[in-house]
Amino acid sequence: MNDDFSDLEAELKRMRPCAPSSELQSRLAATLDRPAAPTAQPVRIDHSVIFRRAWRWVLWPAAAAAAVALALVVMHRPDSVRSSAGQAAHPVSGTAAEPLATTTAAADLYEPVSAENVLYDSRDEGLITLEDGTAAHRVFQCYLDTYTWRNPRTNASLRWTVPRDELRVIPVRAY
Amino acid sequence: MEDTPDHASWSKWFERYGPRLLLCARQWTCSLADAEDVVQEAFVRFWKHQRGLGGEPLPLLLTSVRRAACDRARGASRRTAREEQVAGDELEGGALFEPLRAGDDRRAEIEIALRCLPVEQREVLVLKIWGELTFEEISRQLDIPANTAASRYRYALAGLRKELTAPVP
Repeated sequence: MNDDFSDLEAELKRMRPCAPSSELQSRLAATLDRPAAPTAQPVRIDHSVIFRRAWRWVLWPAAAAAAVALALVVMHRPDSVRSSAGQAAHPVSGTAAEPLATTTAAADLYEPVSAENVLYDSRDEGLITLEDGTAAHRVFQCYLDTYTWRNPRTNASLRWTVPRDELRVIPVRAY
Repeated sequence: MEDTPDHASWSKWFERYGPRLLLCARQWTCSLADAEDVVQEAFVRFWKHQRGLGGEPLPLLLTSVRRAACDRARGASRRTAREEQVAGDELEGGALFEPLRAGDDRRAEIEIALRCLPVEQREVLVLKIWGELTFEEISRQLDIPANTAASRYRYALAGLRKELTAPVP
């Protein structure tokens, strides 16, 4: 533009800005190298997700109770088979109802006693822009959830541990 | 451009544009850490949502960087007095440029001279030289007339020359 400054401009253009830190590159890799699952579009707060997550708290105990019932059925089956061994013609007919009734009664005795969440990994994935244009932090957290049920009559307990990933979108507030 | 996540492709991009984006971000943020956060936010947004838009990527990336920096500055201005005090230390946090082969003294001189420039002149200079924007693009970026951008650029070069040729006390 101005010939008087051409030498200075040329000198400035030869200077190379410092590269970003390796930490920034790692953060980018953590965000961009992950499979496309989280977001290919602006983040949308989906209230149905919250609803589904709330349902998990109902479904997991129900699933665990079903597992207990199934385990008790399996435990009682040899007896029924043994007892029906003598009745060669119709081995199941006379005995099937009884173990099932016992199972249901036993399963009912298991009561939830604890639910623990252990956070073992948390990554701040930086700022994102929500659909309405506001900024939010995206935080990826990994939990280990442990649920325990106990049968107060026999003192038998059932413990179920499952890993759980959680993606939190936390609005950035301007004070 | 492929849509699948590809470390090689984004890292190649970032290797090329990252240093320039960071230098520009440092004109608008109060610390190197803030500048890196701003660059991360802008680059991720660009890579995920804007890279298919076509055209020159650098002006778009710089717009994104500036917007993120302004958002951050608005937030910072409402925070505590201590943080505001930190925000006053412009361009803190290490060297702006890689060392020169010929010697590091010249780089240091230029950096000192750059830091002495008024902010509005320095940002135009940085956008023109390292952001490779035209005066039209700079005027849109900073919301100033193109002539103002051009004159700030000239003032910045004159100021730099004056600082660089000033006798050492």
